[in-house]
Amino acid sequence: MSFERTLNEQEISLTLNGERVRAWAPSRMHAADFLRQRLGRTGTHVGCEQGVCGMCTVMVDGQAVKSCLMLAAQLDGAEVCTVESLAEENGNLNALQQAFKKHHGLQCGFCTPGFLMLATSLAARGEAMSREQIRDEVSGVLCRCTGYEGIVRAVEEYLSVQQAEGSRFRQAEGSRHAEGAQQAMEAQS
Amino acid sequence: MNEFVEAPAAPKEETWQEEGLKRRLIGTSVPRTEDERLLRGDGRFTDDVQFAHQLEMAVGRCPFPHARILSIDFSKATALEGVKHILTGAQVRELSDPLTVLRPVPGAPQLPYYALAQDRATYEGQPVVSVVATSRALAEDAIELVEIEYEPLPHVSDAIEALEEGAPLLHPQSLDSNLLASNSDRAGEPEARIEEADVVIRSRMRIGRVTPLPMEPRGVVAVWRPGARELSIHTSTQVPHLVRKQLAESLRLGEECIRVSASDVGGGFGMKLGVYPEDVLASLHAMALRRPVKWIEDRMEHFRASTHGRESIHDYCLAADAEGRFVAMTNTYTTDIGGWNSPFGSSQLSSVVFTGPYRVADAAVERRVAMTNKTPVGAYRGYGQPEVNFALEVLVDRLARRLGKDPLALREMNMLRPEDLPWTVPSGAVYDSGDYVKTLHMAAEAVDYAAHRGRPRTPRADGRILGIGLSAFVERTGYASARFLANRGSKFGAHESVTLRANRSGTIDLYTGVSSIGQSSETAFAQICAEVLGVEFDAVRVHSGDTATSPLNTGAFASRTLIAAAGALREAALPFRDKTLRLGAWALGIEPGDAVIEGREVRHRSDADKRVALADVFSRAILGQGIPHDETPGLETSAHFEPPSAAFSFGTAAAVVAVDPETGEFEVERFVMVHDCGVAVNPMIVEGQVRGALVQGLGAALGEELRYDAVTGQLLSGSMLDYAVPRAADVPPIELLHTEVPSPVTTFGVRGVGEVGTIPPGAAIANAICDALADHGVELSALPVTPESVWRALEAAKAAKKGEAA
Repeated sequence: MSFERTLNEQEISLTLNGERVRAWAPSRMHAADFLRQRLGRTGTHVGCEQGVCGMCTVMVDGQAVKSCLMLAAQLDGAEVCTVESLAEENGNLNALQQAFKKHHGLQCGFCTPGFLMLATSLAARGEAMSREQIRDEVSGVLCRCTGYEGIVRAVEEYLSVQQAEGSRFRQAEGSRHAEGAQQAMEAQS
Repeated sequence: MNEFVEAPAAPKEETWQEEGLKRRLIGTSVPRTEDERLLRGDGRFTDDVQFAHQLEMAVGRCPFPHARILSIDFSKATALEGVKHILTGAQVRELSDPLTVLRPVPGAPQLPYYALAQDRATYEGQPVVSVVATSRALAEDAIELVEIEYEPLPHVSDAIEALEEGAPLLHPQSLDSNLLASNSDRAGEPEARIEEADVVIRSRMRIGRVTPLPMEPRGVVAVWRPGARELSIHTSTQVPHLVRKQLAESLRLGEECIRVSASDVGGGFGMKLGVYPEDVLASLHAMALRRPVKWIEDRMEHFRASTHGRESIHDYCLAADAEGRFVAMTNTYTTDIGGWNSPFGSSQLSSVVFTGPYRVADAAVERRVAMTNKTPVGAYRGYGQPEVNFALEVLVDRLARRLGKDPLALREMNMLRPEDLPWTVPSGAVYDSGDYVKTLHMAAEAVDYAAHRGRPRTPRADGRILGIGLSAFVERTGYASARFLANRGSKFGAHESVTLRANRSGTIDLYTGVSSIGQSSETAFAQICAEVLGVEFDAVRVHSGDTATSPLNTGAFASRTLIAAAGALREAALPFRDKTLRLGAWALGIEPGDAVIEGREVRHRSDADKRVALADVFSRAILGQGIPHDETPGLETSAHFEPPSAAFSFGTAAAVVAVDPETGEFEVERFVMVHDCGVAVNPMIVEGQVRGALVQGLGAALGEELRYDAVTGQLLSGSMLDYAVPRAADVPPIELLHTEVPSPVTTFGVRGVGEVGTIPPGAAIANAICDALADHGVELSALPVTPESVWRALEAAKAAKKGEAA
């Protein structure tokens, strides 16, 4: 390790799953290797190292990215979320993970973290999606076991629940805003 | 004809009826236990295993299909700081023996396949030098600095050309041609029947070379403790106990010195079946350095270094009378095994199921195994069955067109009926039971076949013509018996084994050598064990894939795990249950006959107040305190079970395909699969297995192909960017239908289910395209089927018509 540091290692600071961390990495190390080897988050997998298979998909600043196509150094200052961040604080699987279990969306489980992180980023868009759109959207991650059906069903269920909750939230927010506006107007008059 | 013929087993009642069991867990879609860890990123795949002071290995590979190694100069690599150890062919030969074969091709000589090439390499990607350094990146830097002088030699890439006179020889020291071996099976007098037949269809059918491509590449971590003489291996394998045996053979160690464990395996599909050169290399480095050595295959290596599948050429002959009754079938086929033998060699099951689900008494098959300058071919999901299904089922449709018959009616006329079973095929294998015709009709009905038959093949509004194609199959799942395997020279058994151990928490530890490769065996084993014991599903904890803790077994391949393990689970669970009841009854002061296990307790059958916790009963057993005087302490049972025969699953697929008769472009609009795997232990898992394998089969049917350059012999599609694996958006709508005919030859009536989906897609789709283009006279004879191949077939048909007209 000490020897490698002489090979242009650099210090990288980032927020990983909500925690501030700092570590060293060689300039040529890609982000997936960095997360696995230097930060110990082995839930992120490496499958092709050319950006095709999607095993290494993580969220960087809210966007799903294939971390084998990023250098570790590019994570400096970033906010990164990996599969280890998904379960709820009480230890239960979150709604997305539960949907994968319910719909048999995984077999060997090697691709699963990639799909989970991709689906998490889709949910963040807050848009309704048809099954066809979901199939297109998840085509950046490959699975050789399931034939995708369970994955698509799980993502569909998760997105529809998230969307419903999101719109309830927006409605609630909206009515609060409306109430506030009303009060403000009343105060003005 | 083989001298040994599998004995047909007498049909028997369903096993749980004998045991007075209710179907409580078997047949239930219990959510998988594997999911909890895998969904959290807590799986332990080989690359997740990390040791202090671990070093990493990289492998330098031959860039030519065939080359002599003139010299290797690694002085510059050694000088690089961080490089710890380098191995070349000469040292490997001193330190180890050639890789052994698990399933030898009968009659084939043992080839001297060392972990590193000796004077010659016979395929692009064969390991030539290996380097260990403080990091993988440094090891790869060092490989770049190794100067290897090669003399490229004439090569041969095509299996048929390889067998021709004058082809460059791959292994002149062992073989005087490139034919590794040939074997034949026959029954009756097919040649005489062909002479007399009214119609004879002959065709050469080609099946392309593909890669199983699990998402987790191979990997190995080797740790050697010299004082303890213990080599500890973590590896991504379907067969930990067989890897241990093979490593012992190559490393000249006793098996007692080797522990192999596979915790989570990211897919195998037949490719992770036995030892590879890199497993031996990592071990040799670790033993030389006394430090842990890890090697993780990268994807570019994977395309060249891990075994490929399927490639074969089938010369089929199907003879029938004027009514369409099959009177004889012959198939002489060549499988391409590549540059060396692999642990399992190229597909052998084509010879077992080449007559399909049909009643043909006169049939012969000859298998020729050709060596070519390409990556070795090994087992791949289906292992010869998708290949032969494509060839036969396409020819059945061709015969139907020749006779002007309905392909469905022709199949029905020739299919074995339930009363014909058990049926012995030319290889000596016995189809156990099933209703093949029923699946044919179910598939046809699902796609409204009858209505389609009556319609003309005219283009729809979008310019495409609709076609429907059928493919019926019988699939061998599991192995017949050790005696049957011995007859074919196999170096593994046909049994599975489990150990059950009570613990003081009142739960049961279940140990198995079957590694967890995505097949959900942990869940299925716990279901069966809990069913027989009468405990809750989550009271059984499965520990899998470690040779140090599990009883010796065979492994997860050939759709065989559950076929054998169901018996072992039952045989181990019954005495475990009986002793639990005896100890529990003693604790309660009741007769064992009045005691039952329910939930986490032993209780009196009719007096609910008399109850004792399993934790208490198991603690008594473990301590040897508070048990009857004539009982021995401990509560642990093991069982090994070998099924009396293989179980044959069966079914029919139907594809609905729309074809553009101008361009050859086509789209699979529906794919229906009717399938029987006997009693389904977990229907959700069964559906997952069938669907997943279908999509692999669709991939191989529609686009996946490892192509080699005709001139240079180089692999052209050797990366994920060039090799088209199905993505979610590529999968056509799939509908699954099941029948459930319990197998009479297995415990609980199960049949294997892991591979079946790979079998029918190719033929069903090709038949649908030929049906759509029937008026154009198009015939297809090769997989994959692509718009280009359809367009070429259209052009060929046009040219033939013109020729006839002129």
